[in-house]
Amino acid sequence: MVNGVRSTSARRPRVYTIRILPLVLALAVVRAALGVEMLGDITVEPTMVKGPATAPVTIVEFSDYQ
Amino acid sequence: MLKEYGSRVRLIFKDLPLASHDLARPAHEAARCAGSLGRYWPYHDTLFANQPKFARADLLRYAAEVGLPGDKFAACLDARRFAPEVEADVEQARAIGVRGTPTFVVNGRLVAGALPVEDFRTLIDEALRDRR
Repeated sequence: MVNGVRSTSARRPRVYTIRILPLVLALAVVRAALGVEMLGDITVEPTMVKGPATAPVTIVEFSDYQ
Repeated sequence: MLKEYGSRVRLIFKDLPLASHDLARPAHEAARCAGSLGRYWPYHDTLFANQPKFARADLLRYAAEVGLPGDKFAACLDARRFAPEVEADVEQARAIGVRGTPTFVVNGRLVAGALPVEDFRTLIDEALRDRR
């Protein structure tokens, strides 16, 4: 308070930070969830993988169900 | 064979429905729908066990067999929700020179055609030696 007038300028950065923090966290979660692993030029869909990412041998199989 | 190598081998499956197989693309899209509902590999195995019976009714029946919720699966399949992803796989295959199925890429080495198990074992063993 300065001469009966409430100054908000000093609080603005803090309010901004509080507002943006959940957004940043949400974006990080979304990016992690949607993060697409790349193997050279090949995208890796996590549900279509068997075996650990640390395996020394990676086999990519291109196949046709029919 | 994957069981034999345990954590030393990772398998990544990529969709490559051939243009000459008119029922293949819906089957690939159906498998991805199954994946989005948490049952990719059981559905994948069911498709291979039942090829080439991939009419819509078949795809829905397989979904029920592997325990997928019928309404969600049907909605995904009918909306062709994963058509872009399947097409992206086809494009990637084309881009790296894959011409037919099956084609394997073993640690970056392109191997075309189905191989006898022994030949595949040799390929994996070579790749493991190269990594040491």
